Amino acid sequence: MVFVHKKPLAYQDVQGDIKVDSSLPKTTYLFRVEANQSTVSLQRLEKYTFIITEKPDAANRIANALDRAGKPKSLAHNGVPYYEAQRDRKLLIVPALGHLYTVAADKKKPRQFPVLDYDWVPLYLAEKGASRLRIWLQAIADLAKGADDFVDACDYDIEGSIIGYCILRYACGGKETEAKRMKYSTLTAEELEKSYQSMLPSLDFPLIEAGLARHEVDWLYGINLSRALTLAAKKASNQYTTLSTGRVQGPTLKFLALRERNINCFVPTPYWTLKTRFSVDGKVLEAEHEKKAFEVKSEAEATAKRCKVKTGTAESVEKKQFRQPPPFPFDLGALQSEAYRFFSYTPIHTLAAAQRLYLEALISYPRTSSQRLPPEIGYARILRGLAKNRAFLQAAGELLSRTELKPNEGKKADSAHPAIYPTGKLPIKALAGAEKNIYELVVRRFFAVFGDPALRQTAKITLDLGGEKFLLVGTQTLEVGWLSLYEPFGRLRDTSLPLIKEGDSVAIKRIALEDRFTKPPVRYNPSSVVRKMERCNIGTKATRAGILQTLYNRKYVRDEKIAVTDLGFEVTNVLREYCPSIVSVEFTRDLEEKMEHIQEGKGKKTEVITQAVGALKPVIANLQLNEPAVGQKLVRAVNQANLEERIIGPCPTCHAGSLIIQYSKKTGKLFVGCTNYFKSACKTVFPLPQRGYIWPTARPCKECGWNTVQVWPKRGRPWNLCPNPSCPSKRNGETN
Amino acid sequence: MTCKLCNRASTRDEFCEFHLRALQNLKDSYPAWKRALDLSWKDYLSQIAENSSAGNWVKEVAKYLIEHEET
Repeated sequence: MVFVHKKPLAYQDVQGDIKVDSSLPKTTYLFRVEANQSTVSLQRLEKYTFIITEKPDAANRIANALDRAGKPKSLAHNGVPYYEAQRDRKLLIVPALGHLYTVAADKKKPRQFPVLDYDWVPLYLAEKGASRLRIWLQAIADLAKGADDFVDACDYDIEGSIIGYCILRYACGGKETEAKRMKYSTLTAEELEKSYQSMLPSLDFPLIEAGLARHEVDWLYGINLSRALTLAAKKASNQYTTLSTGRVQGPTLKFLALRERNINCFVPTPYWTLKTRFSVDGKVLEAEHEKKAFEVKSEAEATAKRCKVKTGTAESVEKKQFRQPPPFPFDLGALQSEAYRFFSYTPIHTLAAAQRLYLEALISYPRTSSQRLPPEIGYARILRGLAKNRAFLQAAGELLSRTELKPNEGKKADSAHPAIYPTGKLPIKALAGAEKNIYELVVRRFFAVFGDPALRQTAKITLDLGGEKFLLVGTQTLEVGWLSLYEPFGRLRDTSLPLIKEGDSVAIKRIALEDRFTKPPVRYNPSSVVRKMERCNIGTKATRAGILQTLYNRKYVRDEKIAVTDLGFEVTNVLREYCPSIVSVEFTRDLEEKMEHIQEGKGKKTEVITQAVGALKPVIANLQLNEPAVGQKLVRAVNQANLEERIIGPCPTCHAGSLIIQYSKKTGKLFVGCTNYFKSACKTVFPLPQRGYIWPTARPCKECGWNTVQVWPKRGRPWNLCPNPSCPSKRNGETN
Repeated sequence: MTCKLCNRASTRDEFCEFHLRALQNLKDSYPAWKRALDLSWKDYLSQIAENSSAGNWVKEVAKYLIEHEET
């Protein structure tokens, strides 16, 4: 029987107790104890290459790709999985779990505010609930001890580079300077093999510097501004509420608040439209007066009177043909936008699904801003792979039959990754849900970018009705081109037009004068917010969706068609009043540009941090100086937000107040009561279940129409309850 | 001082900055309504208070003015 010491031991640790052959090199050894003999032998530990990856799934793929036989050993060290692959030498492929290090305040100055001293520390020291990462980091450190060669194989972008850099620097004992870098855009075996063969000789330090600068600046702004707001509210109310803002969060909330203000302050103005219905070959069509909007009713009515004729004449028929080019390949923003359009997926939902597809090696790296597909990705190879799926056979086959494949590329490029494309690998298991939809969208888009332009025709028919001109405009697709390759996503709205020649007469059926009002600006939705952030160059492709989610989590915004809450308005107002630079898009954009300069090797991290701290200090000082006023404003909004959260709907008894979930200080019980109850103006109260969480659903009861509440018991499924004690559903013992 | 229509602070005026802006927009849009429909100020306010496209703050101001303005 052979026992192997759990950890490699240093030569010096064992040589004092046992006889060691002095000719052995003084490095690290496996300590082997053979139990049936009274001898102890030392065996030289084989040195290996340590490869760090971002996630366990990526480690598995990389190990499978790099092992000579494609069968790496799946091992675990203190429960942390890793892989051992064999090729010209042994490789240990060890996964991280995303970020394992983070920026945190210097522990030596814990009560300091503003917090300007910080350090990079293990995540488990900075965040509650991250204690399991201590074991994970220790395992990485242990496994790195016997390595003499280090490779960073995390995703090739800012976040991936920081993850790899921090682990190599802090957990592996300063190996960041000697480590090499694998660069890849897909997790396919071919690309990983190629990436291993042609590794970059060192880490991409400008990219890392830019990433570190971004994290540090964001942390400085986030912690100090959020703490200033939270402290102000706490001092004013003696109650703790988490309020947050940040370098990107602030300007994002500001433009949402601006839109909300414009909607709430919108005054519609009336206008009138004039339309005619006429028939040609039995088909009824509608044409609109050339003056699209009449601003004075009497003028519209007088014009309508002049048009009351039985026949009209086609005065002119103009036709124009144009080519509609194929779309560009997907960058992340465009994918999120299309996924929202077709499936109503939020940007964060789309990114999560795309990330899973990437880890399954089905699509390329999704966090890209590129609209380019270089030939090196192997267009034909990918199409041949996709053609193995019956659903893609026709489109892939059509493209493969062409002599040349040339994608229609956009201007945007990304030095790290190409646009999003399918790898050509087919899913091992059938995909479902969001993954299935996003995969199909990426594949169809990939086909479409190689398609021919569609040929479309617009026709404008001008009708004369008693001297007044009416226009009928329509567009038809004559040659579908790329649209057929993008099916079912490539449908365009066609309006078929009748065959009318100049001078033809048409029978007028009716003239309609319609009352209209101008409309308020449309609300942003999750997709259009991300696009707006992209246009303003605030945040990064990887962070924008998460920042919007934070705004939802903080209750600054609500609903899919985004409405800014009272709390969101007040936070924006406070920032605008006391620190306008923080919510200024220009300020944020300027910092983004400076960080891009670091990435390009044109700027230094220290300069950007110094400048950012210089701008932050007076802002915090001003917030502290005005703390009572800031606190009062925020507390009012927090209370209002808490109140709104508990409102069920209008009171059915007094019609003046609202039914609200209340807590009786006297009995300690929850109940539904009218807001006028404590003013003694309304006595409406109903009981509620006393266990679990309860909140309004804003959905009416199917039986009685009252708004329902949702009860989340501590165990079991949530259920809906109508608070109306006389609701017919209660007689049948049903719940809504 | 607080706004007559919400609890937000107002400095000199009876409305907060949001309702004040809504009031200004109401005043600015009246000439277009007058030209279009030849309405009185009061009728204009009634139309706005019931219009589904009008903003919430605008409607609140319109209703307040209907109740509190002298004819």
